Amino acid sequence: MANPFYLQPEQIAQKAKEIRKKIIQTNVHAGQGHTGSDLSEADILACLFFRILNLDKESIENPNRDRFILSKGHGVCGLYCTLAEAGYIPKDKLQTYLQFDSDLPGHPVRQKCPFVELNTGALGHGLSVGTGLALSAKMSNRSFRVFVLTGDGELQEGSNWEAAMSAAHFKLDNLILIVDRNTLQLADRTEAIMAIEPLTDKLKAFGFDVYLTDGNSPRTFIETIDALNLHNQQPKAVIARTIKGKGVSFIEDQPTWHHRIPSGDEVARAIEELE
Amino acid sequence: MMKGSQRCDLRDIMVQAFLEATEKKINLAVLVSDSTSTSKIKPFMERCPERLINVGIAEQNLVGIAAGLSLGGFVSVTANAACFLTTRSAEQVKNDICYSDTNVKLVGLNAGVCYGPLASTHHAIDDISMMLGLGNILILVPSDPIDAKQIFDYALRYNGPVYIRMDNDKFPVIHGDDYRFQPGQADLLKTGSDLTIITMGSTAHHAYFAAEALQADSIHCELINIASIRPLDQDTIAKSIQKTGHVLTVEEHSLHGGLGSMISEIIAEQGLQTQFVKLGIPQGRFSKAGPRHEIQAYYKIDKNGIIETAKAMMGKND
Repeated sequence: MANPFYLQPEQIAQKAKEIRKKIIQTNVHAGQGHTGSDLSEADILACLFFRILNLDKESIENPNRDRFILSKGHGVCGLYCTLAEAGYIPKDKLQTYLQFDSDLPGHPVRQKCPFVELNTGALGHGLSVGTGLALSAKMSNRSFRVFVLTGDGELQEGSNWEAAMSAAHFKLDNLILIVDRNTLQLADRTEAIMAIEPLTDKLKAFGFDVYLTDGNSPRTFIETIDALNLHNQQPKAVIARTIKGKGVSFIEDQPTWHHRIPSGDEVARAIEELE
Repeated sequence: MMKGSQRCDLRDIMVQAFLEATEKKINLAVLVSDSTSTSKIKPFMERCPERLINVGIAEQNLVGIAAGLSLGGFVSVTANAACFLTTRSAEQVKNDICYSDTNVKLVGLNAGVCYGPLASTHHAIDDISMMLGLGNILILVPSDPIDAKQIFDYALRYNGPVYIRMDNDKFPVIHGDDYRFQPGQADLLKTGSDLTIITMGSTAHHAYFAAEALQADSIHCELINIASIRPLDQDTIAKSIQKTGHVLTVEEHSLHGGLGSMISEIIAEQGLQTQFVKLGIPQGRFSKAGPRHEIQAYYKIDKNGIIETAKAMMGKND
């Protein structure tokens, strides 16, 4: 199984722009959402679904497909827009985001949406479940990979470190933790609220093979992922430096945009910047 | 195994069920959190070491990994102390198991006040109430070697979340050879017309012998053991209460959100006219600590306490 798109970095950057436009439109239509978080991860998701992940429309139930867990479940609009852009869910379904009994609620539900592997939203769950999935691959001699995308503030949850310890102990070199390192959490900078640095050292001390990369540059991010050694008996951590709200100048790197959505002329300005 | 035969630790039955399941090609993964002795898992560990995963002392991770293994095609079973499983990893149980509807069997070992003198950190008198708050998880409580085997055989073949409340005592057989566990079917251990006693797990034994003793006082008890808390057999329970007009519930659990609470809902919702007494750990309290039989005696959930309570209810106190 391969990725059916396998786009080049510049094509992925274009896809990310389209995803970002959808993020703005979908959040505006819904009247709420996590705009900053969605925009932060858009390039990473575009790289995953249009190049990296070995899955396609026919492989929803295929046990050999790569798995992706959006542990930062609040970034779900970014995922929905990526899935819509890839044709895995109908584009017009995005209009139902956050509506009553929608298939697209404010945190992902695996029973309702293809390629959602876990019902996240409570932080600090994805890495343990990803560890279990990666372990299942080892135990059944399957070669699929498990990608878990966490926020950075999310790493304040202790359960991540239980999972990290075990992923290294079980030598899960098929597990790739991606940290959306935009340095902001709900209330303020991560380092002001509860410092997670030195993150590289911490993850290395827990037994991870750690890489720093640019999570808003498809080219750099793909180079990092392509270079990973998936047979060195170490789980991988890719710390992807990002800008929260990336792509829309007045949303970028502003704590207030964790929950805010564009209103009035902000909508047109945001879309214009993304054209 | 016959009624009255040698006492048996239900954990041994559990491990036997695991071994048989793997022989029958059920793709089992058993997870412990340093709880290899608590779960008496050694025979399985020796026979199927590749299927036994010890995550260390990390209950949240235990449940998360179990969910991941099930998403990867395994029938996952966790086996650790109920007190840590149900409260330390409550959010993992809620989201990774129940909400995500993963095929995981959670075995809560040494539930109730099994850990007697080790006190309330180790007691699990709130496990049923915690699990009842989560929509889709089956809640099963074995009481003897016969139903324990059938419950595990059933759970390992059922596709979805299951919680199994386990004890660490050795129990004799109280079921007949013809007993067949069915989820959602109450287990009528004795029929009688004077007093309905409803119980589960460890206290089923106290109630069983109490009911036998009460015959001498001409109190004929209908003894209903609830091996299937969810789904619950409301019909059998309601019919018995309608017949006797007196109901006593006995549980090694908090009276808040346990078996007694569920029976009170049936009585209230169906407007049943009955005398109703609940035995268990009173609402809003932690259990006393000490030797387990003394705790059971204190809360009158042992044989003597049940006899005394039943006689008082029937106006036959000495």
